[in-house]
Amino acid sequence: MADLIIFITLLAMGYGFGRYAESRHYASIREREKDLNSIPAIASRIPPQGNPNFDSQLVSGSVVISVDYFKRFIAGLRNLVGGRMSSYETLLDRARREAILRMKTEARNLSAEYVFNLKLETASIHKGKGNSIGSVEVVAYGTALIPNR
Amino acid sequence: MDYSNPELPEGINTGKENPLKEFAILTSGVVGSIFLVITLLIFVVDNFADKIPFEVEQRLPVSGLIEEQNIEPLPHYLEALSQKVIDSLGLPEPMQITVHYLNSDTVNAFATLGGHIVLYRGLLEKLTYEDELAMIIAHEVSHIKHRHPIMNASHGIVVGLVLSLVGASSGNDVVSKLLGTTGMVTMMKYSRDNEQQADRDAVNSLIKIYGNAEGALALFKVLDSEHGDRGTVEFFNTHPLNKNRSAEAQTLINEIGTEQSMGRAHIPAAFRKWLQKQKQNAREQPQDQ
Repeated sequence: MADLIIFITLLAMGYGFGRYAESRHYASIREREKDLNSIPAIASRIPPQGNPNFDSQLVSGSVVISVDYFKRFIAGLRNLVGGRMSSYETLLDRARREAILRMKTEARNLSAEYVFNLKLETASIHKGKGNSIGSVEVVAYGTALIPNR
Repeated sequence: MDYSNPELPEGINTGKENPLKEFAILTSGVVGSIFLVITLLIFVVDNFADKIPFEVEQRLPVSGLIEEQNIEPLPHYLEALSQKVIDSLGLPEPMQITVHYLNSDTVNAFATLGGHIVLYRGLLEKLTYEDELAMIIAHEVSHIKHRHPIMNASHGIVVGLVLSLVGASSGNDVVSKLLGTTGMVTMMKYSRDNEQQADRDAVNSLIKIYGNAEGALALFKVLDSEHGDRGTVEFFNTHPLNKNRSAEAQTLINEIGTEQSMGRAHIPAAFRKWLQKQKQNAREQPQDQ
């Protein structure tokens, strides 16, 4: 009985705090994406031809986001029955976009015009008891093209 | 070639659905199917457990374990009363009941594999009338009569095994705990059904012996003052709540119809004195355990 109360409390806390953090994060992501839209991040390896007056430099951004108790529980059940792991989809979506934003911020600080050869890497950094993935790291890196005047 | 960098629409990579909906569907689905599987397992296993001959059950080394702690021989009064109760229940041929007495403060009594019944001093001390004691013995004997101990042991093993296998392969300890709890609650429901069956038999037995079942109602009062219902939820218990057991007994009494009570017999003073002495003995020589 006491176990059940603790379990429900943890679930409710995970849900409440997790939802709050997520909606705030998404709001901030949307706002900064609009702001940084002027710097396109392009996956192509080949820089634009015909304009050689660019300096290039490596830029990167990384982020680690933790899953909450509620999401982990849903994911655990999903493991049994299969299907779309929607509780982790938002987690990875946020992490990817945040990493790109951090990379672009660095590019803006260098007054870059483009980021070329964008790459993303993902790692689960915590495998807790029972191998449940606790948090995820996403690294975004690319080559910033800085016009030289 | 033109290049544009528009704002991407939301909701492609992530669903808009409230996660609580997914939570409700997943939880009820998983809990429901585990409940079904366990109910089916218990049903199948019990059908087999029922066929295990009582002689096999008797060969299990249970009595040795009980005897180790039980130094006192059974007093004549207890033995005679037990015999009376056993006769009233009409056990099938090869079944044998062995009643044990344990000198301990625990307020409890139980029936276990091999037809062994254990009565604790702590419980016996709480009783005033003989029919209360008869109710306890009858309840435990009818557990044996319906082969509850061997059935509980069998499905306990099987359900435990299945749950730990499924739980371990889910790879998430919160989920495996949820499965474990579901299993436990399912088995508790089953256990409560067994208790109810034992109560019904015991009430019948009391009516056969004393013409009434005052002892049953009185016993539940004693149990209630000892471990009250307050703060407990029947759903999470192996036994029905005392008030429900009492109400159930009352319904059965009304169904069968009983004679007017002609004054209930007290537990003999000699036996109560003997219990007192036992208590003192236990205090003077504390067991080194």
